[in-house]
Amino acid sequence: MTEITILALYGLLVILTLILQATGGLTQLGMGYLLGSRDEGRTVSGIAGRLERALNNSVTAMVLFAPAVLLIHVTESSTNETLLAAQAFLIARIVYLPSYAFGIVGLRSLAWTVGIVATVTLYLLAL
Amino acid sequence: MTTELTVLALAALLQAVQFVLMAVPANIELAPGETLSPRDRDKLGGDLVDKLSPRTARLYRALSNHFEALILFTIAVLVVTLGDQSSTLTRACAWVYLAARVLYVPAYAFGWVPWRSLIWFVGFGATFLMLLAALV
Repeated sequence: MTEITILALYGLLVILTLILQATGGLTQLGMGYLLGSRDEGRTVSGIAGRLERALNNSVTAMVLFAPAVLLIHVTESSTNETLLAAQAFLIARIVYLPSYAFGIVGLRSLAWTVGIVATVTLYLLAL
Repeated sequence: MTTELTVLALAALLQAVQFVLMAVPANIELAPGETLSPRDRDKLGGDLVDKLSPRTARLYRALSNHFEALILFTIAVLVVTLGDQSSTLTRACAWVYLAARVLYVPAYAFGWVPWRSLIWFVGFGATFLMLLAALV
């Protein structure tokens, strides 16, 4: 498994998050609203709202993580440490999703922190 | 340069076009004092986006949606390119993605129901297939 494979797996995790978020929106807002132009800004609440915020956060994390992986790959600076950091990122983000959806206070923030620290570590190792 | 990278560059240019399509009417509709301000909700009496006309607000949502889609597509392209996994399927997926995202803009602006959602799904499916193809 390389960092690039982990990036592909993370992309699929974000897609899964998106599907869950869309399902939440579907149950609360209805198909008619979703298919329409959404001119009235309806909002979701509860678990659907959490999934929406989790998706936004996952996209932000992806924007930071993807360049780090690219740097490592293009500069051919992959080591056991960079691989470990990428794996830590993926595991943290897998934990992040249910901990946000089910509102596990503390665990979500911990998972987020591990993810961001792993990303920063990747950048530092790339340098 | 692989086909996927060419399409990625075109998709980024589409994002620039979408930005202009949204920004020009938005700046006509909103006062400079509103756009240049820190856009505090309590001072504006709500979100700045809520002051846009329905069509401009749709273009704004279409732009936000493409930011998300483009990030995933970028990853798919890079994974395919760097992993040397480019194939006829991934090249076709890249073009399908671009075509879907170009169509998505008028579909949102003119309220083509339910075609906008279907078009979105085509772009999403193409990205998903590219990521899967890179892993197989």
